[in-house]
Amino acid sequence: MPWLLNLALPIMITAVIGMVFGGGSGNDNSLGRIKFAVVDEDKSAFSDFLRGAANQGKAAQYLEPVFLEREEAERQLKDDKLSAILVMPPHFTSNYLTGQKVQLELVKNPAEQIHPAVLEELLGVVVSGLNAISRNFNSEFPAWRKVVEGEPDYHEIARLIDKTGDKLHAARDYLFPPLVTFTNMAEEAVPPPGASPTSSTPAPGAEGKPAQKFNLFAYLLVGLAGMFLLMLASQGMTDLHREMFKRTFERYNTLHDNLLPFVAGKALFTAVIVSLGAAIILAGGSWLFHFRWPRPLELGLLTLAYVCFATGLMAVTVAIMPDERRANALNNILSMILSMAGGCMFPPEQLPAAMREHISPLLPTYWFATAARELWWSGGSWFIPAAKLAALGALCLAGAAFLFKRRFEKGTR
Amino acid sequence: MLKVSAVSKAFGAIRAVDGVSFHVAEGEIYGLLGPNGAGKTTTIYMVCGLLRPDAGEIIIQGKPFSANPGEAKRLMGVTPQDLALYEELTGRENLEFWGRIAGLKTADARQRAVELLEALALTDRANDAVKNYSGGMKRRINLGCALMHRPKLLLLDEPTVGIDPQARARILEFIAGLRAAGTAILYTTHYLEEAETLCQRIGIIDHGKVLAEGTLSQLQERLGEGLVFTVDADFGGTSPAQWDGFGARFRVLQQSEKQLVVAAVGQPDPADCLKALLALPIRLQNVSLKRPSLNDVFLQLTGRQLRE
Repeated sequence: MPWLLNLALPIMITAVIGMVFGGGSGNDNSLGRIKFAVVDEDKSAFSDFLRGAANQGKAAQYLEPVFLEREEAERQLKDDKLSAILVMPPHFTSNYLTGQKVQLELVKNPAEQIHPAVLEELLGVVVSGLNAISRNFNSEFPAWRKVVEGEPDYHEIARLIDKTGDKLHAARDYLFPPLVTFTNMAEEAVPPPGASPTSSTPAPGAEGKPAQKFNLFAYLLVGLAGMFLLMLASQGMTDLHREMFKRTFERYNTLHDNLLPFVAGKALFTAVIVSLGAAIILAGGSWLFHFRWPRPLELGLLTLAYVCFATGLMAVTVAIMPDERRANALNNILSMILSMAGGCMFPPEQLPAAMREHISPLLPTYWFATAARELWWSGGSWFIPAAKLAALGALCLAGAAFLFKRRFEKGTR
Repeated sequence: MLKVSAVSKAFGAIRAVDGVSFHVAEGEIYGLLGPNGAGKTTTIYMVCGLLRPDAGEIIIQGKPFSANPGEAKRLMGVTPQDLALYEELTGRENLEFWGRIAGLKTADARQRAVELLEALALTDRANDAVKNYSGGMKRRINLGCALMHRPKLLLLDEPTVGIDPQARARILEFIAGLRAAGTAILYTTHYLEEAETLCQRIGIIDHGKVLAEGTLSQLQERLGEGLVFTVDADFGGTSPAQWDGFGARFRVLQQSEKQLVVAAVGQPDPADCLKALLALPIRLQNVSLKRPSLNDVFLQLTGRQLRE
């Protein structure tokens, strides 16, 4: 049962956290489209324009606006069907075009964290844009208002657009290039030979591998696997306590002076079990949450090295602790601390600065979680962390055999 | 085969073994007889290398144990007092597993397991899980696991504890057969009968020290010519020191409120001894004569019964 729990828990926790913070996995391996309601109480041509903008181009890829009356929107928000409600109040457009103070109302779903926050940020950008337009094109607003509120005069609209274009042309030198830009590497990648012109190809990573979009499930799963693999290893290595309790370890020691083969044999058994656990967690998670690990071979080798470390570490704690009950308690606490401080349970960037800069980089859990996540992002170096983990595991095993030997010689059982 | 010279072991302030010395020859069963906590198991653990002695030396087949522990361990088989078995495995699997651990090839381990199952009368239950065995059967498999690699020196730590007399007799018979085949055996027990019937030489151990050592008859001679009397009586507040000439004829082994155990001094006629005891100034209830047992020797050495 403990084995099964340690296998199922990381997947379950990933699912729960992913659902709460991400709102679903979606088919594009991202956070999913943000569904929100637009309550248009303004009913003007301008609000129609904003409604249309949210449904087109890039916005449609990430946003899923639905247009509802306020009561219906609030009902759906309560049922957790929406991430937020955007209310455009009555006379919003006319007030805006006459320079009066206007307000947009955003009602966020308290049961969600990330999607409402993203919408709030987006709305902040829209408001900043509206402010900038208001400041720079204030003189054209009366003419625009006539167009918006009266019968549409296409000649007048064309004239206003032309006039606006002239203004933008004059300000071109101040606006382009912008002071701050960003480049989406995934969008700028050169399509491979034979690819259709419309196919989207990610940019090469540090080692020529394609970079991946962020995937919350994969990010969480790697960290949680780091923690629960330690706990699985603890389950396996505390078997040594059962061997001591049943005196079979002693019997082995009456036949052989060197205890390392016995400890290593138990470690091998544990490593096989933990490796199977790792395969179930990582491959099962990938299948459940609809994503693919970008470099499975490297991730597999890195995980094997981590398994080696985990079994070695648990062998040492078992050798130190006098009985299984106390060893389990210590191992659980140790796993939690290492996972927390190593950035398995939450991003290392969220850790206090002193820990992030001075302690975490020394921890094997950090080596594993960081290297595995870098494999996802940029194909960063995995070999050195893997070598360090494997070497530390082997060292721990030798240490455990020595501690057991000393413990027997002292007569401590 | 085995020589133990003045070995000692302390656990903190407790001296579990204090200067114990003895030797075991090929084809001999040497019994370490003592109550629980006397230091028997600690002595065996030091001999087999599970514990490192604080002082003294252990020599196996002429070589110090510490010079090459691995080689010394290959010569030994150890049957611990607690069962050291995998209860989920069958008796046959346990034997084969420990045979492989001892260095036998798979085929040899299988063959040897068959031999031992036969010798231990377990062939018909060989394929049952050990957890379904009776206590006596578990003890026999526990013993068999130590014999897989045909050790020249066998260390048996109370191998019959907690089993019925029939199963015990079967194990003792098997052990006697091993001795006849030339195996040197160090046998610890707190059962007097086992030490008396099985062991060629016996060391009586208590509080970590060997108090006396020798063959059964040598140990009995410590009590004189073999006359021990048990006197049940109402002593009326008197003591043997107050009785005229009593100290010259008898040596007190033990005295309680209602009973006195004494050994005759010299080579007196038993009838004279009885007359002298009947003439004591006490209200006698019963006087019995018996040959001295190891318990009487232990009584004389420690002032208490072995079974206390």
